[in-house]
Amino acid sequence: MVTEEEIERVAKLMKIDVHDHKEYVEKVHEMIDYFDILDSAGVSDEEIKMKSLPLSSFREDKHIPFEEKLIDNLKNYKGTYVRAPKMV
Amino acid sequence: MNLKISALEYVEEVKNGNLSAEDFVSETIDRIKNVDEKLHAFLQVNSKAIEQASQIDKKIKSGDKVGSCFGMPISIKDNICIKHSKTTCASKMLEKFVAPYDATVISRLKEQDAVFVGKANMDEFAMGLTTEFSAYGPSRNPWNTDYVPGGSSGGSAVSVSAFECVASLGSDTGGSVRNPASFCSTVGYKPTYGLISRFGLISYANSIEQIGPVTRTVKDTAFLLNIISGLDSHDNTTIDNTGQDYLADIDSGIEGKKIGIIQEMAGEGTDPEVRSATNDAVSKLEGLGATCEDASIDMVKYSVAAYYTITATEAGSNLARYDNLRYGYDFPVEGFEFNSYISKARTKFGPEVIRRMILGGFVPSAGHAGKYFLKALKVKSKLTKEIHEAFKKYDYLVAPTVPVLPFKIGEKIDDPIALFLVDFNTVMSNLTGIPSISVPFTISKGLPIGIQLMANNNEDKSLLRSARALESTVKLPEVPI
Repeated sequence: MVTEEEIERVAKLMKIDVHDHKEYVEKVHEMIDYFDILDSAGVSDEEIKMKSLPLSSFREDKHIPFEEKLIDNLKNYKGTYVRAPKMV
Repeated sequence: MNLKISALEYVEEVKNGNLSAEDFVSETIDRIKNVDEKLHAFLQVNSKAIEQASQIDKKIKSGDKVGSCFGMPISIKDNICIKHSKTTCASKMLEKFVAPYDATVISRLKEQDAVFVGKANMDEFAMGLTTEFSAYGPSRNPWNTDYVPGGSSGGSAVSVSAFECVASLGSDTGGSVRNPASFCSTVGYKPTYGLISRFGLISYANSIEQIGPVTRTVKDTAFLLNIISGLDSHDNTTIDNTGQDYLADIDSGIEGKKIGIIQEMAGEGTDPEVRSATNDAVSKLEGLGATCEDASIDMVKYSVAAYYTITATEAGSNLARYDNLRYGYDFPVEGFEFNSYISKARTKFGPEVIRRMILGGFVPSAGHAGKYFLKALKVKSKLTKEIHEAFKKYDYLVAPTVPVLPFKIGEKIDDPIALFLVDFNTVMSNLTGIPSISVPFTISKGLPIGIQLMANNNEDKSLLRSARALESTVKLPEVPI
């Protein structure tokens, strides 16, 4: 059984502020409870199939110059650096 | 001027000199001005649309080569990038984001001289199925403005249904093109995964989402597919469909074809009006010479849970870039510690996006992945096997597009599980990659009902043929707006 504390902990790790408990935590709880239906699907022996792509389908890994200076689209930057808040 | 024509009719009229692109686009913009205050299909209208149409008229007059769209006014869902135009995803987080490049579908339409009349409203980051989760307010159903138009490509379907453009592009992750198409009485197409490039589509759940046309007729969808489908070096999930002409032989019918009626999608929980419409559709398909019989796809019961688990996981990863450092809005960094800055910046997300991000962090997390995410992937694998088995027996599958009629704005917004179940009939095609189409079929209690046809992977051409056959059996009233 998932607890609301577990949901709140994950939200914090996702850097999401759950100021409205009912709107976020309770509704997410409801959604997760619905997912319990997966337990009755009887798929424990099923293999997960992934689609593989041959390397040849990837485009060449080379720099393609862009016509605009993209960093100008950012609000907080200095030179070629993105300006971020202090981490420590 | 008659705005109520199909894309192909528009092309014919302009080509024959009976219509000028400028006049038609100008009239379309007037129509938007007249009805969109009520419908809210658009987030932005292109102020240069008339001028662009006039340039195309000049090209026609001077005998220059003109692209196959001849200035056709098209709306574009606001999660598809048009260079130097705002692309907000109906989110306050991207309120001022101006796309620096064109999506591949946009480049291809520009090459064919389409005119983009505006960016269409949607659920924020395509998370929703009613357009009520747009940060800029809901779109309204032109058949009854108290009702939702479906979503997340609600603005696209409303704009086509209410004659605010000739065609539109939406995106479909779990039914987001087909659901609003059904609710607004338009055609909505989800192609085989990889048929249309996703380059320039703002990501939600990459492994299953596709761009798809919303049009008035099946032939218009085929026409747009001819332009926008095919390999793209910017998206290595695209598939080679060289030589496919989706319009060719579209009228050749479905005589002798076998169709499976998916029992799990028309049983308990299906509105009686929708069930009755489905039975009528089956009779019509039989009348066209197809053989219809009941089919069962057991994993359908678990598909909504698997779908939401997988999409939330991918969304949790995709939305991590909205930290206000790489993408975001004007919000100074001074005075904040790193984590609290990002948390504060993310308060611009609407409630549904926040819920799905939390879900997306939770279901693949250590200790929970085995119960949720990995199990969802196993359901996806088993469902895909069941679908491939079904297509050994049937040429097409049929079901109602949505199990319920359009509902009132606000009716289900606080009930996430009720909203989940609206997606019940559409998510299977996304999880398995198969093409699906919603065909407008009937109007019940003044509200539209669409029928969904599905075919095996890469059978898009054949699927369009079946949809055209079904479409030819119905004559629907005009939208009352």
